[in-house]
Amino acid sequence: MDSLLSILDSFKAAVNSTFIVDARYMIFLEGIKNTLTITFGALLLGVVIGVVVAVSKVYYYQTGPYRFWESLGQLCRTGRPQFLGQMLLKLLDMFLNFYLTVIRGTPVVVQLMIWAFVVLSSYNEILVAIIGFGINSGAYVSEIVRAGIMAVDKGQTEAGRSLGLSAASTMRLIILPQAFKNVLPALSNEVIALIKETSIVGYVAVTDLTKAAALVRARTFDAFVPLLFVAAAYLFMVIILTFFQRRLERNLQASDRK
Amino acid sequence: MDNSTPTVSTDVQIEVRDLHKSFGDHEVLRGIDERIHKGEKVVVIGPSGSGKSTFLRCINLLEKPTSGRIFVDGEEITSRSCKVDRLRQRMGMVFQHFNLFPHKTIMDNITLAPVHLKLMSRKEARERAEQLLIRIGLIDKASAYPSQLSGGQKQRIAIVRALAMNPDVMLFDEPTSALDPEMVGEVLSLMKELADAGMTMIVVTHEMGFAREVGTRVLFMDEGRILEQNEPNAFFSNPQHARLKDFLAKVL
Repeated sequence: MDSLLSILDSFKAAVNSTFIVDARYMIFLEGIKNTLTITFGALLLGVVIGVVVAVSKVYYYQTGPYRFWESLGQLCRTGRPQFLGQMLLKLLDMFLNFYLTVIRGTPVVVQLMIWAFVVLSSYNEILVAIIGFGINSGAYVSEIVRAGIMAVDKGQTEAGRSLGLSAASTMRLIILPQAFKNVLPALSNEVIALIKETSIVGYVAVTDLTKAAALVRARTFDAFVPLLFVAAAYLFMVIILTFFQRRLERNLQASDRK
Repeated sequence: MDNSTPTVSTDVQIEVRDLHKSFGDHEVLRGIDERIHKGEKVVVIGPSGSGKSTFLRCINLLEKPTSGRIFVDGEEITSRSCKVDRLRQRMGMVFQHFNLFPHKTIMDNITLAPVHLKLMSRKEARERAEQLLIRIGLIDKASAYPSQLSGGQKQRIAIVRALAMNPDVMLFDEPTSALDPEMVGEVLSLMKELADAGMTMIVVTHEMGFAREVGTRVLFMDEGRILEQNEPNAFFSNPQHARLKDFLAKVL
């Protein structure tokens, strides 16, 4: 009984020194704020990049990928570009493939350090982290969204176009809403992965939740309480996110009921 | 091929000249020449793979012709300068698989295009949609989603959606082929109503009864060509071409 009490006492003392002494809870609050800022900033950027990349790739495949060399030959012979639009799309597609390959082929922590210490070294670290994670996430989101677009029946595009809607309006009003519904579960996976992935921003001197724990640990020489708290905090954020995902999914299912 | 402009006649609504269409090495249309006049109800029949649907889809450029020219109201739609979206606003199309927008209510399905294209205000479009829905007896489904409707109801809504754009021509691509037999009648009777109101219609179908009753002219297509055409009575009672005789013997 005595030993149990003494464990409880030392736990209390650890909690006290982790959170209360020197108002260390402020460090954790700052960490949570930064984690959330980076996650949602990167999510926003990632979704914008992802949708733009996915739509571009889909357009490219729809308009026929094999015209490029034919057109280039024509351009060289006659000096008149016949399929300039398609050539530009092909160049865009080549660039996008390069982007996807590089981003998905290198560790995100390396990408982040390159952004922070090489390319954007004089910018605000949190902004740099948002850009780094956003560009990284965009590569994954684009493949998710592309799959979602391709899963929408071709007849939907034809119906939209046959009513006189432009390709862009058809994509925005008819295809993307259905694609979004298709990919919501996969997209939520990406958000959950992203929120946990941000735990590496300590590498570029941002105090996120994980880094906050490390800072406190270094002062109190106690690892148990800060790490337990941090794990619980991530778990809590993910549970909240999952809750909203389920609700959104239910709302989108309104049109499925029989 | 002659390059003269079409004879200026308000009567001819659609003129097709030497239309060819290939998918890769496969030539689906091998030279179609056809004139369709205002108010005609042209029914296109033929075995599957004969190019009927492709022909229809070329008329509103859902398929891009490989060669040949198409004129609508005297304007060449196969020219580079043609505004395809404007053309399609005047041509309704009804598909075999309805292609209603599953994430939109029936009302939104009908009003989406006219409102987005600024042809009508939201209020006007709703009023027009309500009129049309009352006419087909589906006003109580205005706020339902397509998944809650039967096949026949879906197809009638698809027809109404096209009509809401006030088109000059309606194209039907096997509108009853995906329906349960007991629902074919309601769709055909709406189409008949539309025909009686004077709409120009081109209908690809396997419904010979409809062709006979509603069509003003029936075309028989086989292997990418129009082999024979006539007004319905003579077409069915006195077929000339051996392929047509053979086809009719199988389907009638």
